[in-house]
Amino acid sequence: MTFEDALQQALNGLSFGALLFILAAGLSLIFGMMDVVNLAHGAFYMLGAYVALSVTRATGSFWAALIVAPIALALVGLIVEPLLLRRLRGRHLDQVLITIGLSLVIADFIRLRDDWGWGATVRSLPLPAGLDRSIQIAGSDYPTYRLFVIAFSAALALLLYVIQRRTRLGALVRAGVGDAQMLSALGVDTDRLFTVTFAVGAGLAGLAGVVAAPVFGLQPGMDVDALIYSLIVVVVGGLGSLSGAVAGSAVVGPADTFGKVLFPQFALALIFAIMALVLLFRPTGLLGRVRIGR
Amino acid sequence: MSRPTLIRMAIVLAAWVALATFPQWSGFWESSRFAAGIIRQILIFAIFASSLNLLVGYAGLPSLGHAAFFGGGAYAAAIAAQRLGTDQLTVSLGAGMLAAALLALLVGFLAVRALGIFFLMLTLALAQMVFAVAFQATELTGGSNGFSGIRRPTLLGIDFSAASDLYLLVCVTFLLVVLLLWRLTTSSYGRALVGVRENERRMRALGYDTRTVKLSAFVVAGAIAGIAGALSSYEFRFVSPNDVGLGTSVTGFVMVLIGGAGTLVGPVLGAAVVLLIERVLPSQLPAQTVLGVVFILFVVFARQGIAGALRKERRA
Repeated sequence: MTFEDALQQALNGLSFGALLFILAAGLSLIFGMMDVVNLAHGAFYMLGAYVALSVTRATGSFWAALIVAPIALALVGLIVEPLLLRRLRGRHLDQVLITIGLSLVIADFIRLRDDWGWGATVRSLPLPAGLDRSIQIAGSDYPTYRLFVIAFSAALALLLYVIQRRTRLGALVRAGVGDAQMLSALGVDTDRLFTVTFAVGAGLAGLAGVVAAPVFGLQPGMDVDALIYSLIVVVVGGLGSLSGAVAGSAVVGPADTFGKVLFPQFALALIFAIMALVLLFRPTGLLGRVRIGR
Repeated sequence: MSRPTLIRMAIVLAAWVALATFPQWSGFWESSRFAAGIIRQILIFAIFASSLNLLVGYAGLPSLGHAAFFGGGAYAAAIAAQRLGTDQLTVSLGAGMLAAALLALLVGFLAVRALGIFFLMLTLALAQMVFAVAFQATELTGGSNGFSGIRRPTLLGIDFSAASDLYLLVCVTFLLVVLLLWRLTTSSYGRALVGVRENERRMRALGYDTRTVKLSAFVVAGAIAGIAGALSSYEFRFVSPNDVGLGTSVTGFVMVLIGGAGTLVGPVLGAAVVLLIERVLPSQLPAQTVLGVVFILFVVFARQGIAGALRKERRA
C-alpha cells in the first residue's frame, strides 16, 4: 500500500466513521438515557434515506431533504415512544420484540411502496450539486462529498456538545443518563423528556440515512447493516455519552475500512472481534460510564 | 412420577402420536403433503426455539446469536457427510451436534461474562463472526452460494430420503428433545438455572459457580440447536449463510417470546405461529408486515406469550 493509497483509505475510514457517529449518537442517547434497546434504529435510518429520496425528487434539492427527513423521523419517534415504548420501561425483552416488529413493518412498508418510487430495487440518490466532483489531495482525486460528510459530522458533534453542555435540555439529558428516577423525583416530567429524547434519536437516525444515501445507495437490508454497525459503535465507545459515540465511531470506521482493504477475508470478523475484546477487557466501552458486565 | 405428571405425559404422547401419524390420517385431504412439509419445518424450528428457550426462558440469558449453532450444526452435518462420503445419520447428526456444542463452548465462554442486554449484544457480535466465517470460507461452505446437493441420511438401512420417512425422523427427534428438555428443566439443574435467572448473587452465595452453570446451559442449548440445524439441512438439502445469520437468530428469539419464554410448550407454539404466517398466509398479504404487527400486538396484549395467555385463561 503506497502512501497515497493509505491517505485515501484513511480519509475513507474517517468519513465512514463520521457517518457512523451521526448514526450511533441517537442510539447511544436512547440507550444510555432511557435504557431502551431500540432495534428499530436501523429501520429509522432506512426510512430517513427513502424520505430523502422522495423529497429530493419532489424539490430537486438535496438540502431540502437534509432538513425534511430528520424532522419526519423525529415525528415518527414522537408517535412511537408514547404509543409503544412508554409502557415497556425496564422490560428489555419486550422492547426487543416490539422494536423488531416495528422495523419489520417499516422495512416491508418501504418494500411495497413501488408507487412512491421506493420498492425492493436498488435506488440511488444523486450527489448534491457542488459536492459531486473530486479535488486533488496528495496527488490523487478525492470526492468532495466525503469531505463534506466529515465536516458536517464534526459540526453536528460540536452542536450536540454545546446543546448538552450549555442548554437546559442538555442538562436534563445528562441528569437523565445519570439517574432518571432521581430526576423524576425532583419534579421533572421524565415522560416528556424521554419522548423528546427518543424523537431526537430517531431524527438523528434519519439524518444519517440522508447523509449516507448518496454514498451507499438505498436498498433492502440497509436497515440491518446500519443497526449492526450502530450497535457495535455504541458498545465499543460506551453508552450514554457523546464522547463515547465519537470514540466508538473513530475506532470502528477506520478499522472497518482498513480491514476491508488489507484482509478482505476477515473484514467482517475484524470489527466484531474489536467489539468482543472491548466487552471483555473494558466492559463500560472505551469512554462509557454504564457498566456492562462484572 | 406423580399422577399429574403421568397424566400430562400421556397427553403429550397422545398428541405426539396424532402428529406423527398426520400423513396417514390426513391422506384424503388434497393439501396433506403440503401441510406435512409445513409441520416438518415447524417441528425443526420448534427444536431450535426450544433450545434457545433454555437460555432465554430458564437461565435468563437473552441470546441473539443462537443461529450460529443452528447454522453451524447444519454446515457441520453437510460437510461431514460430504467429506466422509457417508449417508449415515449418526455421522452427520453427530457432527452437527458436536460442532454446535464446541462452537457454543467457545462463544459461551466469552458471552457469559456479560449481563442482560450486553449479553444480547455480545452473542449477536460473536454470532456475526461465525456468519462471516461461513460467508467467506468459500471452499468449505460454498460461501454466499450456500452448500447445496445435500443427501438425506440413512440409519440402520432405513432411508430418510422420502418425505414421509423424513417426517418420522423429525417427529421422533422432536419428541426426544422435548423429553430431554422436560427432564432437564424439572431437575435440580433446571431449578439452578431459574435461580441464576432470578437472583444470581444469591446463587453464588449458596455456593453455585454461576458462570459454569450458565456456560453449561449455553453448550446444551447449542448442541440441541445443532440437531435442529442438521435436520434443517436434510429438510432443505441446502445450507446458506442466512441459516447462521441475524435473521435466523431473531426468528428463534421471537418464536420463544411470542410463544411464552420459560415454558416447554411456548417455543413450539411460537414456531407454529411464525412459520404459519410466513409460509401459509395468502400471498396478497404482506407477510413481514403481518409478522411485525403480530409481534407488537403480543408485547402490548399478551406479555407472557401464548402459553402465558392460555394459563391466565384457565385461571380466570
